[in-house]
Order: sequence, then C-alpha cells, then structure tokens
Amino acid sequence: MATEKRDDKENEAVKTDDGSPKIKPRPIVQLGIFLIAHSHVFSVVFSAAGIMALLLLPLLAKNTYISENALMPGSARSMLSHRDVSDGSKLVKDIKNLRLNHEGQGVEVQRLIGKYMSEMGAEVYYQKFHPEGNQFHPLHFFSGPDSYTLLGNVSCASYGVNVAGIIRAPRGDGKESIVLVTPYDSTNGGDYEALSLGIASSLFSLLARVTWLSKDIIWLVADSRHGDYRPVAAWLSEYHTPSFKASDLSKCDELNTSHSFRRAGTMAAALVLKVDGRSERFEDTLSIFAEASNGQMPNLDLINVANYLAVHRQGFYVKVEKVVSLLSSTWLKIVGELFEAVGKMAHTLNPDWNFGIPAADYLEGSATLASSLYSQALGIPTGPHGAFRDYQVDAITLKVSPRFSPDNTARQHEFFQRGAQLLEGTIRSVNNLLEKFHQSFFLYLLTSPGKFISVGVYMIAFALLVAPLPMVAASLYIDGCNALTKATHNPAENLKSWKWLDAAKQVLALHLLGFIVTLLPYFICQVPGEHSPTNRSIMWATTISSVLLITCVTIPGCSPFSSRLHGTNWAVLKSVTISAAFIGLCLMSIINFATAEIGALLLVPMCLMVRPIKPDLRSRSVKSLLRSLCSMVLVTIGFPVMFFAICKGLIGEGLVGLSLGGEFWTWLESLWAWKSATYLYIGMVHLPCWLLCLCILFHPS
Amino acid sequence: IFFLKMKILLLVMLLCYSFAFSSGDTTIHTNNWAVLVCTSRFWFNYRHMANTLSLYRTVKRLGIPDERIILMLADDMACNARNEYPAQVFNNENHKLNLYGDNVEVDYRGYEVTVENFLRVLTGRHENAVPRSKRLLSDEGSHILLYMTGHGGDEFLKFQDAEELQSHDLADAVKQMKEKRRFKELMIMVDTCQAATLFNQLQSPGVLAIGSSLKGENSYSHHLDSDVSALYYFMNGMYITIGVSVVDRFTYYTLAFFERLDIYDNASLNRSYDPRQLMSTAYYRTDLYQPHLAEVPVTNFFGSVMETIHTDSAYEAFSSRISNSKINADMPLDQHPEHDLKENLQNANNPNDDLKNEKQKCPYTQMRADLQEKLEKLENVDTMVNLSIAVMVLVVIVSSSLL
Repeated sequence: MATEKRDDKENEAVKTDDGSPKIKPRPIVQLGIFLIAHSHVFSVVFSAAGIMALLLLPLLAKNTYISENALMPGSARSMLSHRDVSDGSKLVKDIKNLRLNHEGQGVEVQRLIGKYMSEMGAEVYYQKFHPEGNQFHPLHFFSGPDSYTLLGNVSCASYGVNVAGIIRAPRGDGKESIVLVTPYDSTNGGDYEALSLGIASSLFSLLARVTWLSKDIIWLVADSRHGDYRPVAAWLSEYHTPSFKASDLSKCDELNTSHSFRRAGTMAAALVLKVDGRSERFEDTLSIFAEASNGQMPNLDLINVANYLAVHRQGFYVKVEKVVSLLSSTWLKIVGELFEAVGKMAHTLNPDWNFGIPAADYLEGSATLASSLYSQALGIPTGPHGAFRDYQVDAITLKVSPRFSPDNTARQHEFFQRGAQLLEGTIRSVNNLLEKFHQSFFLYLLTSPGKFISVGVYMIAFALLVAPLPMVAASLYIDGCNALTKATHNPAENLKSWKWLDAAKQVLALHLLGFIVTLLPYFICQVPGEHSPTNRSIMWATTISSVLLITCVTIPGCSPFSSRLHGTNWAVLKSVTISAAFIGLCLMSIINFATAEIGALLLVPMCLMVRPIKPDLRSRSVKSLLRSLCSMVLVTIGFPVMFFAICKGLIGEGLVGLSLGGEFWTWLESLWAWKSATYLYIGMVHLPCWLLCLCILFHPS
Repeated sequence: IFFLKMKILLLVMLLCYSFAFSSGDTTIHTNNWAVLVCTSRFWFNYRHMANTLSLYRTVKRLGIPDERIILMLADDMACNARNEYPAQVFNNENHKLNLYGDNVEVDYRGYEVTVENFLRVLTGRHENAVPRSKRLLSDEGSHILLYMTGHGGDEFLKFQDAEELQSHDLADAVKQMKEKRRFKELMIMVDTCQAATLFNQLQSPGVLAIGSSLKGENSYSHHLDSDVSALYYFMNGMYITIGVSVVDRFTYYTLAFFERLDIYDNASLNRSYDPRQLMSTAYYRTDLYQPHLAEVPVTNFFGSVMETIHTDSAYEAFSSRISNSKINADMPLDQHPEHDLKENLQNANNPNDDLKNEKQKCPYTQMRADLQEKLEKLENVDTMVNLSIAVMVLVVIVSSSLL
C-alpha cells in the first residue's frame, strides 16, 4: 500500500518536472487504485459478502409463475373415462400373469405392450439396442451425443428392446411431438414399476381418441434392464441420427424389428414417468427431477405446469430432492432463526418489508438449494430426462410414490386415474404451445417445487466471491515487482512488464500437467487386465507423481520446488496463480454455474490465504503461526480427494485409507463417463491451482 | 358572352347547392356498414375471434348483409388442430351457438389483418386490384359500426403480435373518412384492455365510441370453457384464474343483450353495463355525437333498418307513402329494466322524422326532392336568395367589365 502511494507520488513529481499540467486520473481509475490499495480489507469484505449472499439465497427465492400464455394449464376438463383406466389396469394384470407364467421371457412383455398399443390404434415398433456400458472418451467432451459407436461383435445374449407407439394428431401437421417415457425392467422390475405402465396405458388409451391433439404423441417403453438412461439415449440417438447400416442385432431374435423405426416430428417436451416405493406421507408423493448433464435445466415452465397440476388439480404432495442431513444441522438452524428474527424486526420497522421467512422454511429451502446446487455441479443427469436435454428437448422425470401397496387393486384404479389426469393436463398444456419453450427461465436453482432463484440473483453470490481475486492479484503484483527491483538493484535488468514471465511459465507448466492428468484415466483404462478402482487410483497417483517429477527435472525454471537464488518471487507467483484461478472460475461459471460456485468456495479462500510458511514459522509470533495454520488447513481441504472425503463424511459415510481412493476413482470415472464438465474443471483448473498453492506454501523465500 | 355568363351563373348555383347540401347533418340515413376486426392470433386468443364472430352473427341477424360487413380475422380458430370441435367456434360453454356456422364470409384473414389494411379499409385508399367485397363502400349517409378486439394498452391496440394501431392513427383515419364523407354516423366499439384510451384523439363529429374498460383497467374474459380450454389472463405480471377465453366479458354481455332483440326492437343504445359483471367500467364517449343515446335505437348501427315505403302497385310511386319504419314492438323481456323503451317514432316530438315522412322516395326525383327539402329547411331562405342575387349581380358586373 505504502509503496503504491509512493509510486503515485513519484509519478506526479515526474509529471510536474516535465512542466506538463498535472492530469487528474479519472474517477474509475481512482476507484481502482483505491480498491487495489486496500485489497486486504476489501477481499475479506467481498468474500464474506459472497458467502452471506449464498446463505441469503433461500430468502430471495421467488414464487414460480407460468410465463408462457399459451400453456393454460388446468383449464381443460379431463376427459379420462373409466374405460381408459380399466384398459390400464388390464395391461398391468396381464403383465403380472405373464411374469408369473414365463419367468425371464423378456420379449414377451414387450410384445404384450406392443399388442395393447396397436389395439388402441397407435403405430407400434420395436427397437433393439446394445446395452454397452459408458465408454471412456475423454476427447468427446462437449461433442454431440451421437458418439455411441457399435462394438464389433456383440453377442445376442444381452440386448435391450424398446417398444414405442405413436399416436398421430388427427388434424395436426405432424411436425411436432410429445414424448412419454416409462422405463420398465421386464425381467426383474417390481410390481411398482408395472404401475407406471398402467398409468401410461390409461393415458394412451385416452389420447388415441381425442380430437384436440396438435402434436403427435410417442409412448416409449424403455427397456431398463441395463439402466434407465441408456435405452432412452439409444432410442433418441436412433430417432435423430438414423443409421443406415444393418444392425447385427436384427438377426438375433424372432422379433422382426428391421426397417420399422418410425418417427414423429420435433419433440416439444418429454415426460418420464416412474412409479416406485411406497410414499412415507399420507398423500401420494410426486418427486420432480430436472437436472440434466452439466447442470442444464429444462425450461422452468415445464416444471411449473407439472407442479401446478399436481398440487392444485390432483392433490399430490410434490417435492424435489433435498440434502436430508442438512435438515438436522444446528448451524443452519441458527442461521435460519437469525434471518427470521431480522425479518420480523424489519417488519415491525416497516410493514412493507416482508422478506423474513420462518426458520423451518429456511432450513427446507437451503436443504433443497444445496441438493439443487450439488446435482447441477456434479453434471450427471438425475434421470432418463437427461438424454433429452442433449437434443435440446425439455424433459423432466416425474416419480410417483403411491401410498398403497401394489397388490391393492381397489386403490389402483383411483391412482391410475389421478396419475393419468396429471399427465393428460401436462400434455394438453404442452399441446397448446405454439413455439418451443422459451418464455421462462433456463438458468435457475430450485428451493422448493414452487420457488426458484433466477440467474440474476444467484450470480451475485458468485460475483462477490470472485471479486477480490483480481484486486489481490494486482496488489500482489505491485508488491512483488517492488521486491524484485529491490533484490536485483538493477532496474534496467528488470523490465517491469516482464517480471511475471517466470511465474507465468511455472503456472503454465502446472496447468499443462493438469491437462495431462485429465487425460490419464483414459490411458489407464486402456491397460489390459481387470483392475479394481483402488488399483486404478494407485496407478493414477503413481503416474501423476512420476510425471510431476519428470516435469521438475527436465524443464528447469519451471520447477515449483527449486530453491534457486533468483527464483521467482512468491508474491508474483501468487498473483499469477490468482489470475489463473480467476479466469478458470469465470469460464466455468459460464459452462456450469454450480460447479464454479462450489469451486470458488474452495479456491478463493485458499488462494487468498496461502503464503510461504517458512518465514511465518521463523517469526514465531502468534499471528503468523495462526496464519500459516489457516493456510495449511485450507490447502488440505482444497485437495479434491480430501474434499470428497469430507463431503462423504458430512453425508454420513465414513471412508478411510485406500478405499477412499477407490471411491474417489469411481466417482471420477462416473463424472467422466457422463461427460461432465466438472471433471475437466477439477483436472484443469482446480488441481493446478491447488498445486500452485502448495508451491507457494512451501516456497523457499 | 351571354353563353359564358350563363355558365358562370350555373356554376354559382351549383356552389350554392353544394353549400346547402353540406351544411348540417341533414343527410338521410341510407345504409349500414360494419367493420369487425379481431386483431390477435394464436390459440390462446380464441376469445377474440369468438368476440368478433359474435358481433358478426348479431349484425347479420339484425339485417346487415354480408356485402356490407368487412370481417377481419387474424387467425383461424375453427380449423386449429387444438380445437376439440372442428370447424366450430363457440362463445359459450354450453356449445349451443355455433358462431362459425354457414355463410361466414371472412374478408381479411390471417396475415392480411394488418394496420395498413385496416386503415386502407377505413379510408378507402385501396389498390386497384382490391375487389369490391373487400372495400368499405360507404357513403355520406352510412351508419358504420366499427368493432375491434384484441390486446390493447394505453392508446394502442396490438395487431398480430407485430404492430400497433395507435389512437391518433385511428383518429386520423376517422377524420379522413369524415372529410371524404364516408359516413354519417360512426360507432366505434372496442373490447380490449384500457379501451377508452383509444378514443382520446378522436375529434370528428358524428362519432360515438364505446370501450370496455377505462385507462388502467383490464378487459376480462368471461368464462372458461374447459373443453375448448383457455385461461390465465395476463395482468401486470400477475395471473388471475377467471377463465374463459371463449369470450370477453364486455362482448359477452353485449351479445347477451342482442340475442334477446330482433330486427323490430327499439331498444336504445343507452344501456348500461354492470361494472361488477364486466370487472371493468364500460366507457362511452358521446361528446362528438349529437343525439341523446336514449333516443338512438341500437338498430341504428347494429342492424340495417331502413325506412320502407308501401306502394300499392309497383310502378305508381306517388300514390301512397306510408312509413312503417319503426314498428313499435313490445319489449319481449320486461324484466330487464336497462332497456329503454323507445318512444313511438311517429310522435310529433321528433321533427326530423316528420320531415322524413314527407319525403318522396322515387329514385328519379330523389335529387330534386333532396334539394327542395334542403331549401325548405333553410329558415332564412329569403336572405339566401338575396345573397345569391347580389353575388350574381356582382359576377355579371365583373365579367362584363372584363370583356
């Protein structure tokens, strides 16, 4: 700070010596200089404000509303008749009988469903697909979803069969369609799963005879023997990118599926219906899942419509996922009560201020928000609807939990009716649409099924959090340059603008390392032989260490641990590190906000606090010891594996030793397999920054 | 020279004639026209089309023929795939009254409904190729009903999600119409949000304006037809679930009123809308309109009730001239006090009608009769004649001195 001021004075002096008039800098420049000069204070203030804003988010949530005029949910009277519902019941009964008689005859169930569909007047076809596992393709990040390559020889033993039926809109132009998906595992699906077929069948029977369709309806019964996601993805891939090669599977089975894949128009929306487990509450429960890959969300209007109809028309209890463990956390409760008290106080001061919410609501909201943030940050879709998002189709999964056991046929009828009416209403709303969903939000976080936080609000928390980074970087750079100038005693040698080059080289080298590390798992997976995740993680760790060593040895000047006399100044190194972290975080916030937010929570305090511990330890004052301890703790938490362990611990699964490595490896593998950008972020932003912080921590200054 | 003088004399006489003709609203009512405009597209605006078709049905039932109705519909709801009743449009949930029945002649449809075309229809400035059926061929004796519905705001009405008709555009068009003598009386009926603001700039005499809502008010849809399906009226970011969409409240109650009328009814225009039913306040702008509303029968605009003259034989025009113009039928529904019973028009307290009764209706002598009537009506005929003679003398002196 002092140096900066002196610099300023010198500059002014030079100017006055020249005789030129003293130019007063512009206000914005003055402000910048002021901020940089007091960067310590401001960084603390901004970071605290950022965390505070994050905690305030549940308070700032707005009620959802239906933005698109054309939707008009719930305006139409349901036309579902008892005959439709009994059609559904009959299908469920037939499936149950079939499963009792033919154990394991998968194709029979599909045939039965197909028969029912065609009886209702739909166009039916079967699609076979390879249930191949998700392949590691690190270079296919952000590529299109059509990267499923068929392996050479696939045995006929394991393949899936999707059944799809299309109802054409009687007076529609056939250019648009609405998709209804019911995943069903024909071999070991429970009785609850069959109920979803019952609901869909009731609905389909209705839709086959109505006159108001403007979009075609596709009902896809996805064969979920190999997971929910894969069959839907395979069907979508075939729908959008037809393959003209004869599939190996066509000759596999008695089901003649060749040349019969039928299509309807562009998909306006897709609904995935699942029925599982018994509801714990008195009412039937409807859970809405919306997160697709990389934190992409469907248009909020789709959720609103489903939520509105479920709550106001069918009387479901609607919920979205929440982090249950947060509900019992004491500190969050205290924060909630604090906010409640503040809100009440504000209300007494001015009756127009109504921002306070009850502590219980706050707790619920933040638990839901945390879950929303986590699911988005993970970048893994929370259900088969994720496959639709890859084709820019808005889709949600509706998971219904009935409050009766599946054997209770008396209740089943009423349950089918309500489920089908909910879907009918939603489909009718989507049917009313004239354009794609575009009116409402795409970037939002949910704090309850009826409340959301839009991008304009939640970006503030992130912006406040990362705002100190450039300030501190600038301030450190000025400090570091002055220190260097003093150390060499030769101003001519140290061109001011080139001082950061050494540090930049080091930062670049570590980022390159991060890139290599990111690609490594792919090569490790190519290593022949079966390996447990633990083994793989050990292989990964050893390879990384060796690569790190090689980097240090072969490229002089880039070594983070070299103790050369004229090594880079740590302040400049930290400045460049912070700049890199800033750029990385800002880029990530565009790709996946939630990842960037959580990353910023970890990276920002770590980058701001870290400084060499050697001089701190030498000075032995309480303040500096505390400081070094702080930075040590932050750097420890910042290590991705460590953070993963802490998260697991918070959720309640204790992990120790090597199994932790294995778990972490599996987690990383899943990120990779789902093409999550979070994986790239960890490898190319977080890890290098963490390594650089480590370098600074052990800097020999 | 004499020949020239005669010509000048003739000219002066013609001038006098035209002066007498244009002074005052003494032109007789010759015919009725209706311009019915629905300005909004899309399925969720079903009610706007239903509004317009309701009015269309009414004016047609009350006697305006199709060639004198310009119907502008921005979208085709009847054939929309979302319509549960193909090729039918209803304005009521009981689906009894199909507004899209036989013989609906739509003059401007779909994307033809633009501000430009609308103004062209009003002002009559068409390209040569535009057929007569698409033109408003009214004359100085016409009564025109202009009905508009759609989404409006403060001093504007939205056309097709793309353009706006502003209040001064409308006022300008009306002024042009007045100057071109395209109407005798014009009634503008607008059913939109803040409809009253659309009339702010009107200045031309002979214009009666009725709007469904005042400034700052919304015009609400009447009720929800769950089969046709529509709801949610947008209002300043809030949603009110009152329903319809099959018809707007203002038009619904207007239509409910008209459905009880037939061509012989004498219900006057001076009916009141209940603000509680409308959920907005109906607005009348009468300062440009001379007659008292209570004296104007609705059929003045909504029907085509001409005076008819009984003749004993087809070609003997002057034998009898019994005007049976307005048959004073009893109101069929006495329980509706808002209907103002019109006094017998043949009463002596209406001098205009008495004059009309004396008119000769033979087409050959129409012109002369009109002129005669005009001259008769002028109180200061003597001064007029004196003035004319003075002018003639002046002209003669001037012309002779020039020659």
